[in-house]
Amino acid sequence: MKRAFIAILSFILLLPIYQASEISTLEADGDVGYRQVELIWSTDSPTQEGTIFQIWMSNETIIETINATMHSQVTVGNTSGLIQPEIGEWYDDCTYNFGDGKWIPVYRDLDGTAVVPSETIGVNCTLTGIPPGIEIYLAVMVINPSNESILSPSISSSSTSSDEEIIVIETSPYIFAIGSIALSVIILLFILRWMDYREGKTTSRFAHIYIAPAILALSVLTFYPVLYGIWLSFTNADQSYLGDQSIIGIENFITVISTSGFFRVTGFTLLWSIVNVAAHIGFGLLLAMALNSNDLRGRSAYRTALLLPWAIPSYISVLVWRGLYEPAGALNDFLGTDLNLLADPNGARIVVILVNIWLGIPFMMMSISGALQALPKDMYEAAEVDGINKFSRFFYLTLPNLKSALVPLSLLGFIWTFNMFNVIYLMTDGGPNLDFDGPGSTDILITYVYDVAFREGAYGVAAAWSVVIFLMLVVFSWTYMKKTNATEAVT
Amino acid sequence: MIGSEKSLSPVFHDDLASRWYIPAEVESLRSLYPIVVMINFVSLAIFILREDQDLIFSSSMQIVVSLVILLLLYKLDQGQRFIRDGVIAISGLSLLLCVLQFLSGPQIIIDYWMLGWSLFPSLFAIYSVSKPIVTLWASGNQTTRSAELGLYRNRSVNRFHGKVFRHVALTHAVAFVVLPILWILDVALSPGNSLGGGFFDSVTMEHFNHILSSESFWIWTRNSVIVSIGTTILGLALAIPAGYAFSRFKFRGRDYAMFSFLLVQMFPGVIILVPYFLVMKALGLLNTSVGLILAYSVTALPLCVWMLKGFFDTVPKELEEAALVDGCNQNNVFWRIILPLSLPAVAVTALFSFLAAWNEFLLALTFNTSEEMYTLPVGLASLISSTGQAWGDFAAASLLVSLPVVVLFVIFQRFLIEGLSAGGVKG
Repeated sequence: MKRAFIAILSFILLLPIYQASEISTLEADGDVGYRQVELIWSTDSPTQEGTIFQIWMSNETIIETINATMHSQVTVGNTSGLIQPEIGEWYDDCTYNFGDGKWIPVYRDLDGTAVVPSETIGVNCTLTGIPPGIEIYLAVMVINPSNESILSPSISSSSTSSDEEIIVIETSPYIFAIGSIALSVIILLFILRWMDYREGKTTSRFAHIYIAPAILALSVLTFYPVLYGIWLSFTNADQSYLGDQSIIGIENFITVISTSGFFRVTGFTLLWSIVNVAAHIGFGLLLAMALNSNDLRGRSAYRTALLLPWAIPSYISVLVWRGLYEPAGALNDFLGTDLNLLADPNGARIVVILVNIWLGIPFMMMSISGALQALPKDMYEAAEVDGINKFSRFFYLTLPNLKSALVPLSLLGFIWTFNMFNVIYLMTDGGPNLDFDGPGSTDILITYVYDVAFREGAYGVAAAWSVVIFLMLVVFSWTYMKKTNATEAVT
Repeated sequence: MIGSEKSLSPVFHDDLASRWYIPAEVESLRSLYPIVVMINFVSLAIFILREDQDLIFSSSMQIVVSLVILLLLYKLDQGQRFIRDGVIAISGLSLLLCVLQFLSGPQIIIDYWMLGWSLFPSLFAIYSVSKPIVTLWASGNQTTRSAELGLYRNRSVNRFHGKVFRHVALTHAVAFVVLPILWILDVALSPGNSLGGGFFDSVTMEHFNHILSSESFWIWTRNSVIVSIGTTILGLALAIPAGYAFSRFKFRGRDYAMFSFLLVQMFPGVIILVPYFLVMKALGLLNTSVGLILAYSVTALPLCVWMLKGFFDTVPKELEEAALVDGCNQNNVFWRIILPLSLPAVAVTALFSFLAAWNEFLLALTFNTSEEMYTLPVGLASLISSTGQAWGDFAAASLLVSLPVVVLFVIFQRFLIEGLSAGGVKG
């Protein structure tokens, strides 16, 4: 009761002081840039603290706000302690003036909303994200401190620049490069054939012609892009500099190394690959041995069922698993829990690894199964007669004999898992904790490269990442092969 | 396990058969109980996540009990009858805990599974250690003859236990594989976009009708079919002659050419992605089927060449030699004799290229960004995105898309797996 009385009293007292402002002029200019419209308005009287300007847009004349959507708002308030970004630093550039024709950049509060001081007369905002090429209507609604809102008449405009950024890419260098590669491959094949001819090899007359299409395709569509990628990594190519990029030395590689989270994402990629490959081989070996016994009833039924994760397209399985792990999904029903694993960094890491383990087991199971069948049977019979128990049989007979199959398989598995894009992209897209610059919690190197290339448009940096990843893989494979060969020589 | 001096019976203490003999039941229990302890830890973790105090208590007790059983099993030896009685008693305690656990807590499938992993091992433990032969062994009163018989009997018991263990392990693996698939079937058949709820509560075909009558699904299917068939034809046209040449001819540069095919196989796709995209962009091949066909046929090329070379190697050389002697020229030998003979192999290679193109995601996502040119993978993924969570439609569409692929894979599994593991590429 007392509170209501005070409210009414203050309302009556303040009413004459706060003079309501109305929009007196409103102009729009669509010719300012890509998907942008510049909106300028001024009020008939200096605005009071607490006034809010709301910018509404619609594709029909705005009479009420029901058929429109709010684009952004500008509040009149206390600006002390707020940041005042320069023009071009913020997403929507806004300036204001006190009626003296001097435009000053607006302040921004913690949410990023534009704040202008009281007594402001005019505001000029560059609105971004306007659909290009079509007529849109804009209006400004003034909400006075007394909560009285007045909607200005709407004004129509259109962002004139077209949707596609027109970047003319010079095709001739590419055509020239492809043409010269193709020509040199043809000449090389011709020379090889001629050398064969001089030696009098007649049976292989058509050999070079037979391999020519495949070799041409391979060099134009694989080797050329690889070399081009290596060259790109030393240039400043990005979305806006494509076509006239220039060599900038190793700057891209410095950018790569100094990315915040470079070591975190590399570490997680290694963890991801090693845990996955170990689990694939471990479970694959277990299942292959279970399937491999002679007197197993229903073996082909088991094998067909266990092959399903390999047969189903991987993108489908991954999305299905994502649905299972959603808070409303079946996992929580099944376990009787209330988890949201995908929103928790460590939970999401465990989940993506589990899904990839599920996907990769069948391949390892089948490959190991093939290797197991090749092992000599009499070796096991002899061991059984000698009373060797099954653990010793596994560790002293099966594993050493499988080593020649397991070493290349694990290396291959490592390279694939290292580059497994689908699982992470479709499960979490690298999240949670996606920062603007830097990898998210579950990003591995390849998903982060995708982000750098196709979300940030930094092609040169992405090419540098690719080269770094390739070098990592080469170094790893080389050491792995060396180490395993060394131990083989010892035993 | 060789018994210690004091545990041996005084009469037969240097008898090899009785020294060596441990009943197979005890051996099996010794390898079973670590797994039981592990699964009890898993249940404890689930109950902690569920924050259910009673079940946390009972499963912690269960862990203690199974650890004690494991310890006793390793202590059990000849002449240790009271340890055997201990195993029976503690297993009985475990059974009692199972009953308590059964009487409390929500009864969902996983609870029964966890209960089963305490119940059956303890029943098995009680049953097998109270068998006469084990009793005899544990009391230390066995004769050499009975130990010899026991050793003989162990082989068949071991075989039986191994068989049961295999079936249990494989059933678990199959359940792990099949549950997500059953779940997506449930989502496809249940109304609305709900992800949870009971299995097959209410069945509706609305999602199938919706996806089959939606225009975009058919556009994506058309794009995928065009790209996959194009890839298959172009890929085979490039791979067949090359595979044949590698299989039959000795020519200059052969080893280098074959090595370059292997090298490409080892390239991670990532190093090519960005430059590939830029080349395609420059040539105006983004958002076309041709761009994807070119990219896919080259990515699949090395494996196809290796597969076909392997198949051509198995066609006897004498056939060609006879034809050449009869005056047939080299080209005709290839087209009229070798190719018809290796049609089945060519069909398998074609199936492989088709499946690879049908399932590929990354390049399709990068190259074809306009919705008109989406292939099925990108289209289906777009059903589940930040803008829409059409789980029901996605489930129906994914079943429709994967069914033919899975059927083809299962029918041709033997050939595909041989070919794929020869070239070393995952589908």
